[in-house]
Amino acid sequence: MISESNLSNLSAQFMRPPEQVMRLDRMGSSHQTRLSFMRSLIRRMSKENWKFECLRRDIDSDGFGVSVYAVTTPLRTYSLIAFTQDIPPKKRTDRVIAEVWDATFNLFDGIPTQADIDYLANNTPKQEDGRYRPSELVLARANKSLRIFEHVISTLAKGNQPDIELLSSVGYLMRTTAVYGSGKFGCADRAKIADREECKGAFQIELLAVYLIRWFTIDLVEYLARKRGGNKAVKFEPHIRQFIGVGNATGLGMAPFLLKHPVLIHNWVVAKESALAKVRSMETPLKGTLEKFTQSLIQVSQHLREWCVEDEVQTTRIDRLKDEIGSLSNWCSDQINLMKPYPWNGIYQYVEDRFSLECQEMVVSLIIEPHGPLVDDLAETMSSVSTPKLVADMPLSQLKGIVEDYYVWATTIDFTLTESQHHFWYYSEDKLEPRFGSRDVDEGSEQEMPLAIGRDAHELNHALLSTSDEMLVGEFVLSFPQFRHIIRRIQNTLQRPYSEVQDNLLDESMRPLDLLRFKLAFFGASKFDPKSDLWTRISMYQGAPMPDQLSDPDHDKWFFPVIPKQVI
Amino acid sequence: MATEQLTISLNEVLFFFTRAGFGVNAPIGIAEDFARSNMWIAENGFDPSSCSIEALNNLDSHTSDLAVELEHSDTQVHFVNPNNVYLSSLIASVSVVDWINVGSRNVELIVKNVDSPLLVIAAMGANQCSDWQAIWLDESNYEYLVNFTEPGVWEMVSSNTQPIELSKGGNMIIRPLVETKKYPANAVLRKFVTIEEKEKILQTGVKVGEHWQGIYDYFSRCLVKSTAESRASGAGAGIVDTD
Repeated sequence: MISESNLSNLSAQFMRPPEQVMRLDRMGSSHQTRLSFMRSLIRRMSKENWKFECLRRDIDSDGFGVSVYAVTTPLRTYSLIAFTQDIPPKKRTDRVIAEVWDATFNLFDGIPTQADIDYLANNTPKQEDGRYRPSELVLARANKSLRIFEHVISTLAKGNQPDIELLSSVGYLMRTTAVYGSGKFGCADRAKIADREECKGAFQIELLAVYLIRWFTIDLVEYLARKRGGNKAVKFEPHIRQFIGVGNATGLGMAPFLLKHPVLIHNWVVAKESALAKVRSMETPLKGTLEKFTQSLIQVSQHLREWCVEDEVQTTRIDRLKDEIGSLSNWCSDQINLMKPYPWNGIYQYVEDRFSLECQEMVVSLIIEPHGPLVDDLAETMSSVSTPKLVADMPLSQLKGIVEDYYVWATTIDFTLTESQHHFWYYSEDKLEPRFGSRDVDEGSEQEMPLAIGRDAHELNHALLSTSDEMLVGEFVLSFPQFRHIIRRIQNTLQRPYSEVQDNLLDESMRPLDLLRFKLAFFGASKFDPKSDLWTRISMYQGAPMPDQLSDPDHDKWFFPVIPKQVI
Repeated sequence: MATEQLTISLNEVLFFFTRAGFGVNAPIGIAEDFARSNMWIAENGFDPSSCSIEALNNLDSHTSDLAVELEHSDTQVHFVNPNNVYLSSLIASVSVVDWINVGSRNVELIVKNVDSPLLVIAAMGANQCSDWQAIWLDESNYEYLVNFTEPGVWEMVSSNTQPIELSKGGNMIIRPLVETKKYPANAVLRKFVTIEEKEKILQTGVKVGEHWQGIYDYFSRCLVKSTAESRASGAGAGIVDTD
C-alpha cells in the first residue's frame, strides 16, 4: 500500500486531500493519465517485446466464423478466440440484456486446442448464458459500428483510405459492450493469475483482451476488403490504423464495483495523487518537460475540437474546456509565469483557482505526462490483494473519532428528506442487470443493494451516540450486527483515506455517470460520450501503437489522440 | 445458472453466497463474512453449497436465529442463543472470530447448539487463526476435532463416517491449541494446507452439487422483478445502435 508517508515530506504537502478528490463532480471530470492501465500495459508490451500472431482465421467472405489471435509474453502465451456471426439489426443493443452480438470473445490462458474451441463455440456466443472454465480468463462481446464498418471495408476494397472525419467521429470499428474477468460465469479467478508479472497491475488481463479485440477488428476489415477487392484492395495507412481504437459502452455495472472495492480504489487514487504531488513539489522543472507540456496544450486543443458528442451537458463542458485550455496556453506563453520556483504547482494553482473541474483534471493529466521516469513506478502499486477485516478490538472511542474525522460528509446529510434517499441500487432479474431505481417510482427498494454508504455511516453515528467509549467494536456488533459492514469500511478508511466516495449515492441529483467516468479514466479511456446519466460510450486504445509499432520510440505517446497530421 | 452439476469460480462463491445470506435476512456484514467462510470451504476442496444450505434453511425457517448472548466466567465465555432455537452459525462464526481477534487466549469459548459447526471452523480458517483448536460433539453424537496448527494449515480428526459438513447441532469448545498425543484407534486425521488446496481449485474450479439450487434460490431473493417500466429505465434503454 502506498501512503502519503511514502512520499517525501515536501511532496506530501502537495497531496490533494480526499475531501477534495473523492467528490462525485471531480470524479466525473477525470481524464486518463500516464498511470492509466492501458498506458502501463502498452509500456510493458513494448519493454518486454511481446510477440503477436494470428493463429487461425476460419471466416467466410462476410467475416463470420472463428479466429484466434495469440500474444506471447516472456513466460507464456494468451489467445483471443473470436466468434463472429450475422445478427438481426434490430437485436443489436449495447445493453446487458442483449441476446446476440456481432462478435464474442474469450481470452484463453495458453493456446486453445480444437476441443477448447468446440467447447467455447457452444458457450461464448451465449455470453452470460454460457459457462466458462478456469482456462478462460476473459469473456467479452462487441458490436459493429454500422456507420463505419461497411464504409471502411468498401473503401479499402476500392483501394482508398476511409474518410478520416467519419472515422474520427466514431473512433472505432466495433464497440465492446461487456468485458468480464475475475471469475465471472466460471472464468478463471483473479487469484489464478495475480502473481504473474504481466497481470499484477489492475485490469491488465481484461485490457489485454481489449487490445487484442482492437487488433482483431482492424485485421478483420482489412481481410474482408481484400476478399472483396482482390488485388485492388489496400490496407490502412499505418497512421490511420493507429488512430482506430476500440469502443466500449459502459453502464451501471461499474458503479457497484467501485463501491465494493475500497482498498483498490484507494490504491488507484493515491497513486495518481502521489504522482501529481511529486510533480507539483519540484522547485525546478526537469529539462525539456515544460516544453513538452506547452506542446501538449496544442495537441489537446485539437483533441478537444475532435471530441464531439451529442450530450448537451458534456458539449457545454467541452466548449468551456476549449476556452480554458486556450487561456492557459496564453498564460504559459508568458515566460515569467513559468520561470518562478515550483512552476508545476504554479500551473496547477492557476488552473484550480480559475477553471472548471474538467479543466483542472485535464491539466493534472498534462502535467504528470512529461514525468514518466518520476512517476511510472507508481503504476505497479495500483492493484490490491487485501480485503478489509473488522478490527474487533478497536474501542468505540476510536471508531467515533474516525467517523468524526472522515465521515462529516455523511453525518451532516439530512436523510429524513425525500430527496436524500430518492434513489436505490438493485439487481434486476433480467440477467442481473444493475439498475438505479427511484423509490417513488420503481418497485424493489426492499432488495436494495447495500451501497448506501453515507446513510449507513449516518445511522451508525447516531447509534454510537448512546454507547460507552470503552466498549470494543467486537462487543458492539454482537448487539448491532447491522452495522458490521459499515464499521469495517470506516476502519478501512482510517488506513486508506482515498477509498470512499464522499457524496450521497442515493441523492436525487446523483449521476452514476460520474462514477463510470472516474473508473474509465483510470482504465485509460478517452472521448467520453455520455448517452444519459446512466451510461457512456468511450474509445479505448485510440492512437495506441499496433502490435507492429510497439518497438517504435514513440510507443508511449498516444495520450489525447488526434487525427494524424498526415491526413489533415 | 441452476443446474445440478456445476463448476463455479471462487468469485462466484463470494457473489452468490453473500446475497444468499442477505436473502435470508442476515445483515450484509454478516452475509459478507459468511461468503468469505464459504470461499475458504471451497478453497479446501469442499462443496460450499452442501456445507451451508442447512444454516440458510434454518434461518429461513426460524429453526435458528441470529440472536446471541454471552455468558462469562473466569475461564470460559459461552455463546448462547436465548430463544431456544439453534444458534445460527452465521452469527456464531463472526462472534467467535471477533472474540479471538480481541486477543484473549486465556479463556475457552463455548459455542452452544450451533447449527453448522463447520461454518465456525471456516470463519476461523478464513481469518488465518492459528494455534487454536475446536472440539465438538454434535446432536448425532459424532465427535470432531479440528486443529489450526499454523497459519493456513489445519487438520481434522474424526472417528465417524459422517462428513464434517453434515455435522449439526454441535456444542463446540474452542481453545488455544493443545497438543493431542493420542487419538482413538479408528480416528482418521486429514491435514489441509489451504494454499495448496486452493491452487488446485484455481485450476479446476469449485464443484457444487445438488444443494446449489437452494443457494441460488436464496440468492434470487435479492433480485428485483423486471417490469416494462424498469427495463425502459435501465442503462442503454431506448438507444438503437446505429453509430
